[in-house]
Amino acid sequence: MTNRLRVLRAERAWSQADLAQRLQVSRQTVNAIETGKYDPSLPLAFAIARLFQQPIEAIFSPNGVSDG
Amino acid sequence: MDCAPNRYARRSLVLALLCAVLAVVVGIARREGLIPPSLRWAAALLPVLPMAWYFAGLGRWLKSLDELQRLIQLEALLVQFGLTGVVVMGYGLLAKFAVVPNTGIADFWPVLWLVLFFSWAIGQLIVRRKYR
Repeated sequence: MTNRLRVLRAERAWSQADLAQRLQVSRQTVNAIETGKYDPSLPLAFAIARLFQQPIEAIFSPNGVSDG
Repeated sequence: MDCAPNRYARRSLVLALLCAVLAVVVGIARREGLIPPSLRWAAALLPVLPMAWYFAGLGRWLKSLDELQRLIQLEALLVQFGLTGVVVMGYGLLAKFAVVPNTGIADFWPVLWLVLFFSWAIGQLIVRRKYR
């Protein structure tokens, strides 16, 4: 799965630690999601979507599929 | 949240030390004949209390972690379980073949705690690198 988390975070000038705090997870978790080493659970994906006020599919997409 | 494994390591170390200290104290008291026969079972099991405390806290601690940290700990515990099994089984077989001293469980349990701690630490190193 690929995601636009790093881009969305950069647009808001948030550090990984800022985002981690907002999502109530560790910074390592944010980093692992951004680098594609870990796919978040559905509840966490929903929390991310809610935070960025975007649908999940606008943030996450299956491997090889990009929404641009 | 990032320092959770350090907290776990500190807690494990403190409880292992407490267990060892209690075992030594109880051992000395037994040798010196300070334990009345009616309290012998309680004195013998005293060092087990920190171990029970450890496992009670382990569940609470795992629940407090976020999902990736929990996955990391689960994988590290798997490494710990596997390594400990291999070490204990290996030592048992070597003792059977008289390559190493044949220590009974009465003498081996302190070593078992050390093996558990170090195999967990090795598990941490391996698994955390995977998600770095």
